[in-house]
Amino acid sequence: MAAYVVIGASLAGASAAIALRQQSIDANVTLLGAEDSLPYERPPLSKGYLRGTVPLEKLLVRPAQFYSDQSIELMLGSRVTGIDASRRIVHVAGGKRVPYDSLLIATGAHNRQAHIPGIDLDGVHSLRDIRDADRLRAEMRPGRKAVVVGMGFIGSEVAASLRHEGLEVTAIDPGKTPLARVLGEEVGAKLAALHQSYGVKTIFNHSVAALEGDGRVEAVTTKAGLRIPCEMVVMGIGVEPTVDFLDGSGVHVDNGVVVDEYCATNVAGIYAAGDVANHYHPVFGRHIRVEHWQNAMRQGAGAARNMLGELVPYDDIPWFWSDQYDANIQYAGYHTAYDELIIRGHLDGASYAAFYMNRGAISAVVGLNNAKDVRRAMPLIRARRPVDRDWLRDDSVDLRTLSV
Amino acid sequence: MAEGFIAAIKTADVPVNGMVAVNVNGSRVTVANVQGVYYAFDDECTHEQCSLAEGDLAGTTVTCMCHGAEFDVRSGQVLAPPAVVPVRVYRTRVEGDALHIEI
Repeated sequence: MAAYVVIGASLAGASAAIALRQQSIDANVTLLGAEDSLPYERPPLSKGYLRGTVPLEKLLVRPAQFYSDQSIELMLGSRVTGIDASRRIVHVAGGKRVPYDSLLIATGAHNRQAHIPGIDLDGVHSLRDIRDADRLRAEMRPGRKAVVVGMGFIGSEVAASLRHEGLEVTAIDPGKTPLARVLGEEVGAKLAALHQSYGVKTIFNHSVAALEGDGRVEAVTTKAGLRIPCEMVVMGIGVEPTVDFLDGSGVHVDNGVVVDEYCATNVAGIYAAGDVANHYHPVFGRHIRVEHWQNAMRQGAGAARNMLGELVPYDDIPWFWSDQYDANIQYAGYHTAYDELIIRGHLDGASYAAFYMNRGAISAVVGLNNAKDVRRAMPLIRARRPVDRDWLRDDSVDLRTLSV
Repeated sequence: MAEGFIAAIKTADVPVNGMVAVNVNGSRVTVANVQGVYYAFDDECTHEQCSLAEGDLAGTTVTCMCHGAEFDVRSGQVLAPPAVVPVRVYRTRVEGDALHIEI
C-alpha cells in the first residue's frame, strides 16, 4: 500500500490528508506537524480568537476523533529536519524517519524577523500561531498604548481588534496607506480613513528604526525621528515561506517551493501546497504564491488528487476576505500592476467593488461589504476577456449576465 | 419532529431562479424557486451563520456569499467546502397560491 506523507499539520496539510483518505480508502496517510496542536484555521487568530469570542474548538479543521476514525496518522510536535529524496525518507527532529511514496510539503510560512534594535524586548509581539495569539491576548487591556508595525492584513486586523478591546492604537507603515502594495493607494486611502474613524492614529511613509525600553518596550522610533511611547508592540511585517528543511533535498526553492500547475515539484513524488507553494497558475500564466485560507484549503485538496495520479491542474481563482471593524473586505483574482481601476458604486460609500483592469480585462476585484459582486466577478476573471467598462461600473447590471 | 405542512409564503413571492427566507414555526427557512419547482432548506449556512437566501442560486446549487460553500438545494448535500455538514432540507407542497413546508 502506498504511503502518503504530508509535512505540515496546517489547513493545507489537513485538507490534503482528508482528500487523500476520501479518494483512496486503503492509502497510508501520515500528517506531520511541528506544532503540538491539531490542524487549525488561522484567520480567527487576529479577530474572534484574539478578542475571546471564538473558542479554540471552532478553529480546528476537524475534531481529534476524525483523524482516528479516518485512520489518518497524526504525528504532532514533529518538526521535519530534512528530506532524503533519493531514498524517499523524511527525517524528523529526534531521529525518527518516515518513509514515503508520495510527499506533500505544506509547511506554510513563518513571520519575517525584523532586524532592528529592541526586537527581543518584552511586550513585543508577532502573530502567527495560537500561542502568539494567547500571549498577545494576555496583554490586551483597555487603555493600554499599543503600536502596530505594518498595516498589511494581519496588522490591519490586529489594529481593529485592539481598538475593539479599548486599547489606544498607533499604526505605522512605510507605505502611503494600509495594504498599499496589495490593494493600491486609492482603496488603501479609504481603509486608512476607516481605521482613523475608529480612533487609530496612523503614521504612514515611516519605517521603524528601533524599539526602545529597559527590559520591556517603552517606545517605537522611526527612521525620520518620530518617537511613539507605548506599552506594547505588534509586528505585522509579513511572512516568509518555511523551506529551511529542504536544503540539500534537490527540491527547487524560489520564493517558496516551486511547483507546476499540478502542484508537483521538480523532484519526482514531491508536491507542495498552501502558503509555501509558489504555484504555476494556468489562469494567470505565471507562478504565484498565495498566503490565504481558501488557497490552503483548496490547493491542499487539489495537490492530493494529483498525488493519487489524477493529473488535474489546480486553477481556483485566489480569493480572500478580511474583517476590520464592521467592514468585510473580499478580494478575488490576482494582480500586481493595473492600468485602470474601475469603481462600481463609490469608494466613499458603505459598499463598493473595485476592479483592477489590465488591457480591458479584470485581473482582480476587491469589494467592501460586497461579497456578491466579488464572487460574481470570478468567472469574468477566469475568462480573461475584455469586459464592457460601463456595465462593470453600473451596479444595476448583474455581473453574472456578463460572463456568458 | 415533523409537524406537518405549514403555509409559508405565496408562490408568487418567490421569483423564478430566486430565493426568499421565511420564518416557519420559529425556524428560518430559505425557499428556492428552480424553474417553478420549489425547494426549502435551513437559511443558515452550516459553515458559519451566513444567510443562504442572500447567496446566489444557479440551477439547483446555492452558493453562500460569506465563504463560497455550495449546497444542492434538492438534497442539502455539500457540493463545495468550506461547509462540511449538509444543510437540512424540507419537503414542500403547493396548495392553491401558497407554498407549504413540512417542518
